[in-house]
Amino acid sequence: MDLTLLMNTSMLLMLTLIITPTILPILSSTSKASPDTTTQAIKAAFLTSLVPLTLFLYSSSDNITYCWQWKFITNFNIPFSLKFDQYSMMFFPIALFVTWSIMQFASWYMATDPYITKFFSYLSLFLIAMLILTTANNMFLLFIGWEGVGIMSFLLIGWWQGRMEANTAALQAVLYNRIGDIGLILSMAWLASTTNSWELQQAISVTQTPTLPLLGLILAAAGKSAQFGLHPWLPNAMEGPTPVSALLHSSTMVVAGIFLLIRTHPMFTNNQTALTTCLCLGALSTLFAATCALTQNDIKKIIAFSTSSQLGLMMVTIGLNLPQLAFLHISTHAFFKAMLFICSGSIIHNLNGEQDIRKMGGLQKMLPTTTSCLTIGNLALMGTPFLAGFYSKDLIIENLNMSYVNTWALLLTLTATSFTATYSLRMTSLVQTGFTRILTIMPINENNSNITNPITRLALGSIMAGLLITSYTTPMKTLPMTMPLYVKTSAIILTILGIMLAIELSNMTHSITQPKQNLLLNFSSSLGYFNPLTHRLMPMSLLNTGQKLSSHLIDLSWYKKMGPEGLTDLQLMMTKKSTTLHTGLIKTYLGSFALSILITLLMHTD
Amino acid sequence: SELPKELLPGPYPRTPEERAAAAKKYNMRVEDYEPYPDDGFGYGDYPKLPDKSHHERDPWYQWDQQDMRHNWGEPMHWDFDMYLRTRVDTSPTPVPWHTMCKHFLIFLGTMLIMFGVGEMYPSYMPVGPKQYPFNDLYLERGGDPNKEPPVVTHYEI
Repeated sequence: MDLTLLMNTSMLLMLTLIITPTILPILSSTSKASPDTTTQAIKAAFLTSLVPLTLFLYSSSDNITYCWQWKFITNFNIPFSLKFDQYSMMFFPIALFVTWSIMQFASWYMATDPYITKFFSYLSLFLIAMLILTTANNMFLLFIGWEGVGIMSFLLIGWWQGRMEANTAALQAVLYNRIGDIGLILSMAWLASTTNSWELQQAISVTQTPTLPLLGLILAAAGKSAQFGLHPWLPNAMEGPTPVSALLHSSTMVVAGIFLLIRTHPMFTNNQTALTTCLCLGALSTLFAATCALTQNDIKKIIAFSTSSQLGLMMVTIGLNLPQLAFLHISTHAFFKAMLFICSGSIIHNLNGEQDIRKMGGLQKMLPTTTSCLTIGNLALMGTPFLAGFYSKDLIIENLNMSYVNTWALLLTLTATSFTATYSLRMTSLVQTGFTRILTIMPINENNSNITNPITRLALGSIMAGLLITSYTTPMKTLPMTMPLYVKTSAIILTILGIMLAIELSNMTHSITQPKQNLLLNFSSSLGYFNPLTHRLMPMSLLNTGQKLSSHLIDLSWYKKMGPEGLTDLQLMMTKKSTTLHTGLIKTYLGSFALSILITLLMHTD
Repeated sequence: SELPKELLPGPYPRTPEERAAAAKKYNMRVEDYEPYPDDGFGYGDYPKLPDKSHHERDPWYQWDQQDMRHNWGEPMHWDFDMYLRTRVDTSPTPVPWHTMCKHFLIFLGTMLIMFGVGEMYPSYMPVGPKQYPFNDLYLERGGDPNKEPPVVTHYEI
């Protein structure tokens, strides 16, 4: 039995299954799409994707499928080839599982939305773009997927387009991603000019890549994965509906940047500058996001900053030269982050739109399943031993401690680990425990299976995924096995320190009565002042310059200086010079006559 | 069809009567009306409104166009497309501007300097060169058994 053929066929079948609910209503007039059909299609696609995954795990045969070749110019071909290797094979079931759960949840969350079918088709279009990105074997297809997820992110964040903040957030997401795209296009241009191909096999065969294209790739990843400097769009993307935040901005889209770095990883291996840049950028992002998450009051923003922090951690892993571990973290992170978002969506909807954690409390008794799964998700995020997050996060911290790294990057990452525990515990305690601060009459229930099934399914994933994935993948690099006890337990000790900090701070709030502003609180709650500084200076200067150039300078130069006024100036200059000659004396006129006759005679004799 | 000539923007108002006519045209009071300075940039008699974005307008007031926070007939700023609610926000920040700049630059500068320090003094697990016994394996490496092997010390106390 040709396993490769079976694997490829099932993969293509799965892609067809995903695209069918979107395309079929366009092609046929009788079939109508509905949220349920889309959800069922994604579920079927997930179950189908387990077949190639199993085949891959037992045969470990990577393959590349050529569909068609676009002969661009004479010596530059762009083959449309899909690469089915461990990354794409592992990513498909995870992405489909998470999408299935989110779509089932969205059929409850967006039930009152008049355009719910359009919403589901947008989600499936996004999924298709993401899957193209992950299976792309060349930069061209990857770029198609890259832009596709960017556009769908724009459309989905700005779903409630009557809301100005949503429009601003969607525009922000697109602009920040565009800045990253500059880097990606730079690298693609370098690749095309040096290796004459956009195939990843050709790219990774270059052993000593110059730093510039690698910095371009890092810029692209920084834009898409919200690293420090290009991060503000991710918290603002919470303006979109919660299913969008759960799918795009936690599990799938934001990992596209990290995925790019994982795919092109062999180019980075020998370039220490690029690796150090990744490491430092990731460490700064993770600490900055964790610091901002400490003082947020919106439940979705806390989870968004948590995502940003974990993305920084993934970038740190790339900087440690461990792409497989980064991918493991992507996979485990998808489960518990999507679950956190779905739980928060359930809480928000049940509280009639309340997103402020200061107005929640005591929900443990009212929403038992949701809050238990919220706790499981937070524990997995913190890296509790033997939950999903532990397998990836603990390994990353161990590797970080045992490697030759920048000390400050190490310290920042460790601090961010303890902050993760702090803000997770803060969120949990303010949302679930304590006295309830919600409005008195609120019909809270989780009787709908469309809420509980996705949440429990993802909870199961959060618990089991780490173990399952690590059992079935062979590590490509030897991980450090022997280390001192304090290094081995550093992650858990830091987490416990973070928990103790959170408990201390919450105990302090019972005794202190008047909250005061201080330096650190202002810095943290204003997100490091980055947003006001950049979002006021840059657009103001650019728009002003553009306005002045277009309306004033161009008008001034072309219509005045190049036209009438310019002519006037020249004429005036000439006339002023020549009026000195018009003195009214005969001698001057006789002299000018003689001069002109002399010149004419000279010209004719030559 | 088009606006009549007296309602279109016109040249810079030179006399007080022209100013009053321009203020009436733009639905403003004569005291509030202030044209742009006449320096040849083509503003004409368009009023110079304060540079405040729509973020600063009261969100709870019942505007004629609630999403634009604009009343019918209200003169729009020359750079209105910059001061929309989806663009630049000029509302006063909780923390003064110079404090924000200072704190952010201190944060960024500290991070960059510390990254530089971290590069100079990286962290790594202590390693040492391999040490072999029997005088650095003198005999096994083909040393002369009759000669006195050179003394090799791998440590200093």
